[in-house]
Amino acid sequence: MRRVLRRAAASAVALFVFSSAAWAADVEAGRNKAQVCAACHGPEGNSANPAMPSLAGQPAQAIATQLFQFREGNRKNPQMSPMAANLSNADMNDLAAYFSSVQPTPPKRRAAPQNAAAGQDLTKKFHCVQCHGPALRGQQHIPSLAGQQADYLRAQLEGFKASSRADMDGNMTSVAQELTDKDIDVLVDYIAGLGAQ
Amino acid sequence: MRPLIAVVVLSAFATVQAQDKPAAEPPPPWQQGKPAAMSESTLHPFFPHLAGRSVKELPVEKLKVPAGFKVEVWAEGIPEARSLALGDKGTVFVSNRLSKNVYAVVDKGGQREVKTVLKGLNAPNGIVFKNGSLYVAERDRITRYDGIEDRLDNPPEPKVVVDNLDPQKQPGHFWKYLAIGPDGKLYFNIGAPGNIVMPNYMQASIMRVDPATGVLETVALGVRNSVGFDWHPKTKELWFTNHGRDWLGDESPNDTLHRVSKGVPNFGYPFCHQGDTPDPEYGKSRSCKEFTPPALKLGAHIAPLGMRFYNGKMFPAEYRNNIFVAMHGSWNRTTKQGYSLMRVKVDEKGHAKMEPFLTGFLTDEKADPPMWGRPVDVLVMKDGSLLFSDDYNGILYRISYAK
Repeated sequence: MRRVLRRAAASAVALFVFSSAAWAADVEAGRNKAQVCAACHGPEGNSANPAMPSLAGQPAQAIATQLFQFREGNRKNPQMSPMAANLSNADMNDLAAYFSSVQPTPPKRRAAPQNAAAGQDLTKKFHCVQCHGPALRGQQHIPSLAGQQADYLRAQLEGFKASSRADMDGNMTSVAQELTDKDIDVLVDYIAGLGAQ
Repeated sequence: MRPLIAVVVLSAFATVQAQDKPAAEPPPPWQQGKPAAMSESTLHPFFPHLAGRSVKELPVEKLKVPAGFKVEVWAEGIPEARSLALGDKGTVFVSNRLSKNVYAVVDKGGQREVKTVLKGLNAPNGIVFKNGSLYVAERDRITRYDGIEDRLDNPPEPKVVVDNLDPQKQPGHFWKYLAIGPDGKLYFNIGAPGNIVMPNYMQASIMRVDPATGVLETVALGVRNSVGFDWHPKTKELWFTNHGRDWLGDESPNDTLHRVSKGVPNFGYPFCHQGDTPDPEYGKSRSCKEFTPPALKLGAHIAPLGMRFYNGKMFPAEYRNNIFVAMHGSWNRTTKQGYSLMRVKVDEKGHAKMEPFLTGFLTDEKADPPMWGRPVDVLVMKDGSLLFSDDYNGILYRISYAK
């Protein structure tokens, strides 16, 4: 009984922390500010374009961190850099709160049968799960990968391998050096297919 | 003779075989050295809110200081505020690890204005100000910006003091702390390239460079990663904080406070931790007796960062020449501790004692995250008040004292 009570208390604390975090940045303000994002990232941040990343359901810190890096010129992209240039800190936190609150509706895509097990093995071999989490759903500033758009995933992995994709701490650039073209094919197919499960 | 050759050939063959076997990919540096028994551990570092968080949404009223002291927010909106440096004209320069900028906070009649003064730098964690110049330690070099306080909106081009400090683009602890010693030399750390790995001859050290000549010298070895140092105002000895290794459990090893009293001491990494605990792997054939012990054990994984001797006049006399240490707080511990400022009293023989000075960031030692803010560096202001930075929220706080 005591243990049950303690667990209940712990989940009450977790709820409180979650709701205070949601209150911190403004989801509704974020929804208004996000209208312009839909043109590329899809309705409510659920992208239907294989080259454009979905933002729905990403960890809030992952969204805010990338917006910050675009604004500061540390990550560059012809479409995103001008979009982020005039965002305030509050704008970035509101957008992050909004997109993280949206339910993701990933494409109904499944990995080719031969890639499902091989892809899972690669995510362990290359330690993807160590930072992106066991289900590749991200944490803090680390983005969720599961069900992300395939061409976008490929472009990021190839960019890290070419050392041309912005990388704050070098972890992704470092690990991507060891990826073969085949590894990238398998990883992209596997990860992009995880949303359908 | 023949059998010997056979043995040599065989062992060479075995070496080739071992290298041909595909090696496991190296884990990210923060996971390196994690034993199999901890493979299911979900402990992870905490990442700052780069876009900052507004004071209005934070429980700043929870911060506690001793009677007579007062803590207040001094400036906000400074992304990932880390190291602090004070300009001759009162400008507070603020660094970071990941945002590539250096910020300046200018006090305008009680209102603080935050300016981005330097952009596009490579992990500019270390900053120090001396004789009108701001020195910046990036990942790979140390530069100098002359007369910058008069040109915050149009900063001068940097002059390179020393370059090529990171020829291998090392993983792990690649950011640097920077301070100027009583000898006028620039002191900086080169961290270990992972959690528990054999460093090369320049890594896991504190070094110094003479800004006039560019000559480099080693100051201390066996230092896993120091992100704070200062000199005792009377003895002029160097004191510094150091982070112990991860993944040895909740209580081991301690992070440490060190004193350099003579020569070029070796403090033990990666062979010996906290002066008395051999590393399970690297310590097998070495003894802790070979190494210089720390002046004080600070707590396991408590993450001591910036530290300064208090040489101001505002605080009561017993605070003079005490050290304030910013505890960034533990992540590699199931029950969290730290997220505080500690006061360390030292005597002239080097004996040290520690007590809490500012608490209140830690709200639930079992939660994820367990805290709402994280102290990084401390700075004694001209009026004797104490500033400290919080990189988690991008905020500077001021602690003052009135009878």
